[in-house]
Amino acid sequence: MDEFERELRQAFERRPAPPGLKRRLMEQRNRGRTQRLHRRVVWGERLAASVVLAGVLGGALVWRHAKEVRKGQAAREQVLTALRITSHALHDMNARLAARNSASQE
Amino acid sequence: MKHRIAIFVLGAAAMAAPLLAQNSPLPLPAPVEKELAARATNVTEVTLDKNMLGFAAKFMNGKDKDEAATRQLIEGLDGIYVRDYEFDKPGQYSMVDIEQLRKYFETSEWSPMVRERERKTGESTDVMVKLVNGETHGMFILDAEPKELSIVLILGPIRMDQLGALKGLGGLGALGNIQSDTKSKDKTGGDH
Repeated sequence: MDEFERELRQAFERRPAPPGLKRRLMEQRNRGRTQRLHRRVVWGERLAASVVLAGVLGGALVWRHAKEVRKGQAAREQVLTALRITSHALHDMNARLAARNSASQE
Repeated sequence: MKHRIAIFVLGAAAMAAPLLAQNSPLPLPAPVEKELAARATNVTEVTLDKNMLGFAAKFMNGKDKDEAATRQLIEGLDGIYVRDYEFDKPGQYSMVDIEQLRKYFETSEWSPMVRERERKTGESTDVMVKLVNGETHGMFILDAEPKELSIVLILGPIRMDQLGALKGLGGLGALGNIQSDTKSKDKTGGDH
């Protein structure tokens, strides 16, 4: 019983905290806070980089598509111009042939 | 090592040359064209190879009848080469220039379809076709008017009925009738 009382007393005995415990605890807390903050910053940076990259890629795709459309429209216009010139040449020829035919028939 | 690289480069070039030649069957501008362009007040130049024609076809509106017909026509073509020179006054080109142009484009593969001359005005039109196994695989038109000169070279399979369908494009609708017109004129012994 005495032994038990002694152990109990020892257990309840007020002891001073080890030196530097508070400092270590504060450091640990600060370290954890800094790490969390750093992780957040890193994720934020990654997110921002992804958004910028997606924006750049999206912009490039839109720009490329717009360029393709412009080139396609220009090519289409060129085809129509070529066909118009062909049409004009043949129309004139047909008109001359028709005029000659009617003249020879008269 | 350097020799191997040189041999590799030469080999690659030798293999690529026929491919490049196949991809661009369109001729280079005739030397006389430079002089004509310098004298002309208005020059229209259209050079479209097979790739560009295919690309342009994608932008043709399938709902519009004419554009749908144009799309059908150009999708099978190998190339279109058009030059149109407009002059402010007559006499800016000579018959020698015309002959040079005709000779430049005319090869043994081409057969004349229409050869029309107007002596009074000096106007002339030449239509030649390239026939492969009885099918039209090219058309060359050289139209000379006092103040305008047009060169049209269409390479690739051309179906006259497809051309005839392009009625919305001015005189192109008449293109489909050229063959029949020519045949009837040949029968009557007309000399153009």
